[in-house]
Amino acid sequence: MIYKIAHKEFIETLRDRRFFVAALIVGGLLLVSLALGWQHSRQIERQHEAAAEMTRKQWLSQGEKAPHSAAHYGVYAFKPQMPLAFVDRGVEAYTGVAVWLEAHKQNDFRYRSAADQTALARFGELTAATVLQILLPLLIILLAFNAFAGERESGTLRQVLSLGVSAKNLAFGKVLGLTGVLALLLVPAVLIGAVALMLNGDEAGEPFNAARFALLVIGYLLYLSVFVFVSLAVSARASSSRFALLVLLGFWITSCLIVPRAATDIARRIYPTASALEFAAQMENDIKNGTDGHNPSDKRLADLKNEAMQQYGVSRLEDLPVNFDGIALQAGEDFGNQVFDEHYGNLWNQFERQDKVRQLAAVLAPQLAASSLSRGLAGTDFAQHRDFAIAAENHRRLLIRTINEDTMKNARYGDTKYVASANLWEKVPEFQYAAPETAAILKKQSGGILVLFGWFVVSILLMIWATARMRV
Amino acid sequence: MLIHIIKNEWRNLRADKTLWLVAGLFAVSVAYAMFNGLAWTNFQRQTIAEAAAEDSERYDALKKQIVEYERSAPEKLSRFSDPRDPAAAGRNIGQKYAAMSPAPLASLSIGQSDLLPYYFKISTRSQQTFTANDELENPTNLLAGRFDVAFVVIYLLPLLILVLSYNFLSGEREAGTLPMLLAQPISLRSVVLGKIALRFAVVTVLALGFHPLVFFLIGGGKLLTAEGALLGAVLWAAAIVAYIAFWFALAIAVNAFNWKSATNAIALAAVWLLFVILIPSLTGVLVTSVYPVPSRVEMIGAMRDASSDASARGSQILAKYTEDHPELVQGEYDPNDAAARTYAVQETVDREVQPILAIYDEQLQKQQNLANNLRFLSPAMVMQEALNDISGTGNARYRHFLAQVKIFHAEWQNYFIPRVFQKARVTAATYDAAPRFVWQEENSPAVARRVLFGLLGIIAFTLAAAAFGFSAIRRYSAIGG
Repeated sequence: MIYKIAHKEFIETLRDRRFFVAALIVGGLLLVSLALGWQHSRQIERQHEAAAEMTRKQWLSQGEKAPHSAAHYGVYAFKPQMPLAFVDRGVEAYTGVAVWLEAHKQNDFRYRSAADQTALARFGELTAATVLQILLPLLIILLAFNAFAGERESGTLRQVLSLGVSAKNLAFGKVLGLTGVLALLLVPAVLIGAVALMLNGDEAGEPFNAARFALLVIGYLLYLSVFVFVSLAVSARASSSRFALLVLLGFWITSCLIVPRAATDIARRIYPTASALEFAAQMENDIKNGTDGHNPSDKRLADLKNEAMQQYGVSRLEDLPVNFDGIALQAGEDFGNQVFDEHYGNLWNQFERQDKVRQLAAVLAPQLAASSLSRGLAGTDFAQHRDFAIAAENHRRLLIRTINEDTMKNARYGDTKYVASANLWEKVPEFQYAAPETAAILKKQSGGILVLFGWFVVSILLMIWATARMRV
Repeated sequence: MLIHIIKNEWRNLRADKTLWLVAGLFAVSVAYAMFNGLAWTNFQRQTIAEAAAEDSERYDALKKQIVEYERSAPEKLSRFSDPRDPAAAGRNIGQKYAAMSPAPLASLSIGQSDLLPYYFKISTRSQQTFTANDELENPTNLLAGRFDVAFVVIYLLPLLILVLSYNFLSGEREAGTLPMLLAQPISLRSVVLGKIALRFAVVTVLALGFHPLVFFLIGGGKLLTAEGALLGAVLWAAAIVAYIAFWFALAIAVNAFNWKSATNAIALAAVWLLFVILIPSLTGVLVTSVYPVPSRVEMIGAMRDASSDASARGSQILAKYTEDHPELVQGEYDPNDAAARTYAVQETVDREVQPILAIYDEQLQKQQNLANNLRFLSPAMVMQEALNDISGTGNARYRHFLAQVKIFHAEWQNYFIPRVFQKARVTAATYDAAPRFVWQEENSPAVARRVLFGLLGIIAFTLAAAAFGFSAIRRYSAIGG
């Protein structure tokens, strides 16, 4: 019985020219956005790979040079493209593309690509994620708002139910019919997405791509089915198809437009962050005066001198078996690193708390749950940007330590003319980044996944409840 | 007769719970949006004030230090932190801020102001070393966008209009009251006019009613004196009225098709989606594909190459530079002066990378020009540009800021760099006489012209839709679809 109903729904929808055109547009946009996203992603990846090669070459070809001067020259770390970024660009346009790794300082990422665009970018980029999160739910609403209310108005609902079809079967038949129509759009998109991913994967060689892609598909299916169930539920209970449509459009606008923006401002208010000015001033102050305010840098240096002389049992810095300049430089780095860890840690925790507020607000707006999960799996959320930033910072620390150790071992104390040989630069390994594994991402996303799953279950129950008490 | 229709319609509308519900939601949205906008501009103003305070405190400390060091200089004093050293003063310790304060109406539209920096710490280094410093912000917040008044106007106000007018004719027809109404000696056009005029009045009062309050809050009573504020307020109101008129004209046009109410709702929702979501994002794709801005990563590599090349030729460049600028050295120069060499090298690098940097500005400018022309494809794009322009949070005012920063940076360099070459000691008087950045507000008649030109586009759309609606309505059937 269910299949007959599904078949009827399927055929009827396809015959309706208006819906056919709407579906064609949405399907077309989905494919176009996938293609554009893939091309964009490849281009960025090529540029960043070339840039990474260049920064390495620049680093290696420094020749003979004072090591500390090389540490100031430093290298750049460029954000890699994650294999699934072509589906969802996430926060990529707003993070900055590169960070300078130099002595003494943890830098911010620079050059947000959105700043190199017009204000049009703020209307939202056209990506597969946008189509899946914003446009497809709207299409579902248009396909489904009439499902029961329309049949009631034309009088066929009474006839069908008088044949002995249970309301539940009717509802699931309609779900199946709608699924069939949506499958016509989604299956090609998933196949094209998979092929694009495989083409990407050749270069990235990341092992969890297939699993992650499957999870992404499942996440979107859960999200889209919420709209199917809610639409049918509303259609079953609404007094007219007009009213059903208004309620559903209200739900869509709340979920896709109002709550996501409102949540941003609420999150900023609950978990505020300092201005860049204040942030930099605090770090500078901590480095100068010590984190507790009672340990100024000149006192730290004096202590360090005494400590070093005691350790080697000498009374003059010149007599130390290692160069004190190098020790002092590295001690300065170590102290700075503590300060950076604390301040950047606090700032980034605050950002992640803001993102948690968004995940929580998904209770009101399933779009927030879907977008969070989608960014997470695509590797384009803030948490993974942070992961990369930490990896880059660790590389900076390794680089500076390697350089300072050379000064400790090879330079004489107070010799400002010392130059390191050209092969020192090769002792610093090339920066490699391993993106977090899928399990770790899922753990981070657990709140959002729970809410999305909650929406799925509640919306099914809502549909069953509503159809059981359907207006006839 | 028209007045009777309006009166009757007002009684109907008042009795309908929908009006009060959507009006209430709209009022809450505007209030919340205002609150967010004010919080953001206050944050910016406070940051700029803190920067100014830090600046003057630092200068006081430097001047005190000079007096102290003149009496007895510390034994091991790095020249990078010696306040008497012109290189240190212009490059590090004496840096000054250049800030663009929020415009009077900035809190209404956050626009690009959360993305683009609103102050720079100027130094004698190359401009790109300080213009890439952004405000700290969670990138997810930037992606999601803010809930400001411009958002409420561009996205939500049309929906309010659509809810109140999607069935203004079809509803009466479906209820069977339209034939009765037309049995009176009135034309259908008068009915349409009366119904829409009333709704237009209600929405306009609702949308603008909150704004006097906003202006009062922003201006704190100083509204009339703040330069350009009054003009801005008038333009803001004009833009909103034009936008409201457009959506009502669209409702007339759709209702003229004699469709069912549900079909009207779908059609209007589709048009809303087209104008507010689809056309803007497709235009965004088009604009960035026609004039792509190369990735900044290429710029970084090129700049570093130029810089290491130039550094390797440091002494040569310094010699050439002093030859070209004899006024800087007066006779002989010191070939081992590291600070002087730094600036000679920097000047060479700046000159070499200039063509690369120019590409970014040129491409962005081309994007902006194309976007400006294409904005007439959608009233929502016209509105975004206009509201950002009025609030001073768009790209135009930012470019205006950058141009002033460029001039100030040159002044700053011209003040300190000759002193580096001449090894002139910096004194308290030098600090006192150092250039100061004074923000020059954008010329407001020019802003008004840009905004009004954009509004002409919305008005053209409105007239076209209304003309179509009123002409098609002649064939309207009051009893059936």
